[in-house]
Amino acid sequence: MNRTSLVERLEGILGPGGVFHRPSDLLVYEYDGSVDGAVDTALPAAVTLPTTTEQVAAIVRLAHEAGLPVTARGAGTGLSGGAVAQQGGIIVSLTRMDRIVEIDRADRTALVEPGVINLELSETTLPQGYFFAPDPSSQRACTIGGNVAENSGGPHCLKYGVTTNHVLGLEVVLPDGRIVWTGGHADGGPGYDLTAAMVGSEGMLGIVTKALVRLTPAPEATLVLLAAFGDVDAASHATSRVIGAGIVPAALELMDALTIQAVEPAYHAGYPLDAGAVLLIEIDGVVEDVRALGEEIAAICREAGATEVRSATAQAERDLLWKGRKMALAAMGRLAPNYYLHDTVVPRSKLPATLHRVDEISRHFDLPIANVFHAGDGNLHPLMLFDRRRAGDVERVLEASKEILHYCVEVGGALSGEHGIGTEKRDYVTLVYSADDLAAMAGIKNSFDPAGCFNPEKLFPKGYMCGEVRALRAQAMAQKLGIYAF
Amino acid sequence: MRSEPDDRGGAVGGIDGELPASIDGLTPSTFVAPATAQEVAEVLADAAERGLAVAPVGAGTALALGNPPDRLDLVLSTARLREVIDYEPTDLVLSVGAGARLGDVQTVLAEHGQELPIDPPRGDEATIGGLIATGLAGPRRLAAGTLRDLLIGVAVAHPSGTVTKAGGMVVKNVTGFDLPRIYHGSLGTLGIVVSANFKVLPLPRAEATVTAAAPSWEAAVAAAERLRSSRLDPAALDVMRRDGAWSIGVRLMGREATVGGLADEARALLVGETAVATGAESAAWWRGYTADQAAIAQGDDVVVRISVRPRAVGGLIGSLVRLEEEQEVQVGYLGASVGVGSVVLRLRLAGDNPASRLAALREALLTLADQVVVLAAPSAWKRGFDVWGRPPETIDVMRSLKHQFDPVRVLNPGRFAGRI
Repeated sequence: MNRTSLVERLEGILGPGGVFHRPSDLLVYEYDGSVDGAVDTALPAAVTLPTTTEQVAAIVRLAHEAGLPVTARGAGTGLSGGAVAQQGGIIVSLTRMDRIVEIDRADRTALVEPGVINLELSETTLPQGYFFAPDPSSQRACTIGGNVAENSGGPHCLKYGVTTNHVLGLEVVLPDGRIVWTGGHADGGPGYDLTAAMVGSEGMLGIVTKALVRLTPAPEATLVLLAAFGDVDAASHATSRVIGAGIVPAALELMDALTIQAVEPAYHAGYPLDAGAVLLIEIDGVVEDVRALGEEIAAICREAGATEVRSATAQAERDLLWKGRKMALAAMGRLAPNYYLHDTVVPRSKLPATLHRVDEISRHFDLPIANVFHAGDGNLHPLMLFDRRRAGDVERVLEASKEILHYCVEVGGALSGEHGIGTEKRDYVTLVYSADDLAAMAGIKNSFDPAGCFNPEKLFPKGYMCGEVRALRAQAMAQKLGIYAF
Repeated sequence: MRSEPDDRGGAVGGIDGELPASIDGLTPSTFVAPATAQEVAEVLADAAERGLAVAPVGAGTALALGNPPDRLDLVLSTARLREVIDYEPTDLVLSVGAGARLGDVQTVLAEHGQELPIDPPRGDEATIGGLIATGLAGPRRLAAGTLRDLLIGVAVAHPSGTVTKAGGMVVKNVTGFDLPRIYHGSLGTLGIVVSANFKVLPLPRAEATVTAAAPSWEAAVAAAERLRSSRLDPAALDVMRRDGAWSIGVRLMGREATVGGLADEARALLVGETAVATGAESAAWWRGYTADQAAIAQGDDVVVRISVRPRAVGGLIGSLVRLEEEQEVQVGYLGASVGVGSVVLRLRLAGDNPASRLAALREALLTLADQVVVLAAPSAWKRGFDVWGRPPETIDVMRSLKHQFDPVRVLNPGRFAGRI
């Protein structure tokens, strides 16, 4: 199908306002939220903006018929290249499907379209006493559909879990254009857990057109503690002591000196400028417990060498303490023109050693690295500061990332805690998974998308899905046994 | 991840070698109990080559679950895969062999003040692998979720002869598709989980269970709704009928100094005589209450699980009470997790031709709820229908998934939903 007739047929489905095809309109869809150079960019043939599930299904059927790649996209805030149309084809932008369809207080669920902004859902339900727990740092912009695709986390997933723990069911357009539901209001549906397969599948198995998500009752009381330490080691140590005392805070965030120096002058959150690191610890629950646990945590922090511990219970004071954390990325502009935000996970006990290694890598590559991350669950976010106009900077950043990733995997960590693999880390996947491990994953892909048209070239190492997958072990075995049922 | 046991590791529990003589009336010709993951894979590859059907078994606490197998040649016990592979209390993560019993695992965790916050029926005896395969859960899922929510990694043996891993030993991980959760609840039809990694949590510092008799199901449900919408945030909240009497149980967890006060608040929200159990007695009360929910065939008992959206639980209980009279079934036990939307019945069918009466009962239940699973029933009675309920609209994707992982149908053929 040539481009003109593709656009004509898409406009037949969506109307002229629902299709972008002029080069100038397509340019912004070449990227996601990643740093230029860290992931590939690619231009789609057309961007579609459906408003209904039926339109999504019609677009997918057309693509299926024409053999065109399909890439779903939310707000484009992703950081692993997931929403980039690597092989061109059609982008399905879900931002116009942004209705909160139903909020059910008795069931504690919300039925939402994929384009609903994460924070908007919580803001809508909080007056009724509920919130949507996953809270990625991009929550003011990112969509629930994107959260489902990437299995997003956020500071509060330490206590509340990540997106997959909050999705009960999904309406999905499958790669053949069929509209189906996985999961639903009532638990215990028969068969394989296809909802689990969909969450975190980076748009490679289907397009979510509605999500039934769990709403969490707002806690009766919330307390935020700020503890300042002389260095990152002391702060990491305190983190382990808090967890070791049998306390799982709602959130436990660490910021190092470089981060404090960037955010404090900009946002006046009240972080001591001379601190080597600060911990931001939030606890919530029934009012009696929160008060007592707050005192307990403060005592643990002081014993672990905290130079200052402050607490806030009033909303405005808590918001101020959080502001520095939430605006940390924005504040990095004060230190360097560009930053590369990394996302890796290590076992919590390996945090001090990992931070030392990150520091060594920073010095080796002469690259300032700020650390602001979810210490409670070992999810690191080294922020590499650089200037992409300066020759060699991007290459040094990528080399340094590679070293960090290798180290994290060596100490038993994971490649990504919440950003996804996409194209950013696909060639590192073999560090953690063998060919057999990947073959099992390819089995999932092949069950949903045998033609391989949904978000091609993501997650699997470069070239993997283009032929090797066809030699899946299941198929190899079937042939060995003389069965050709594929 | 370490593979060799160390001072924190080592095997937990013992092998008692109790293997089932048959599954739903089919008698296997061979029993094996492999000692390593690789041995499991070799057994499966050999079975695939020879066209044998394999049923994996753990402790046998849910053997009645599933359709009668199409074929059965070999029973594979995970009993020898029971070591604690890695346990890092400060990281709140645990890696354990599939054959380890949950009770033994909880003992190891409790030494460090930690637990897996799950309470499946007959859970102490059940194995980790069995719990992953069946996906069966207990009342604590109301607040703590299920094993699905805690599962962070698996190693799985496949009929191709390979052992694969997915996930890892960290609590947040989005490296690739979420295979661990896909294996959860798959009844061992995609592969045999040989070990699993979990996020663990600190034990609650204190707990209390408040129980109260209720004059009617309406009163019990109303009390449960009051508790659910209170500030108490119950760990479990069930309405039950045992020996003909309705009652309610609420489980509260928190700090030592707090739980007593919470229990008093709960009592104030309940009507009539209440009783309070604390500490080990509280936990034991729930073990006793859920024992009848196990997917174990006992005589002519039928165990059925009905799931609806939480708001519909009260109406469902009312309908069940009416149905009981119309259909002349004797429901000896009813346990409803109110906020979850799950009701389990243990019942007897009076009169002639119980098999067709069970089929009729199931049809009637399917008019009340979308999800109806016959957890246990005499084998002969299960042959007329799919015990998992209506096949989902995605059954073709599921069949394709099965085909990708087990193309010659070595694993539990016919037992899963849609007779996969």
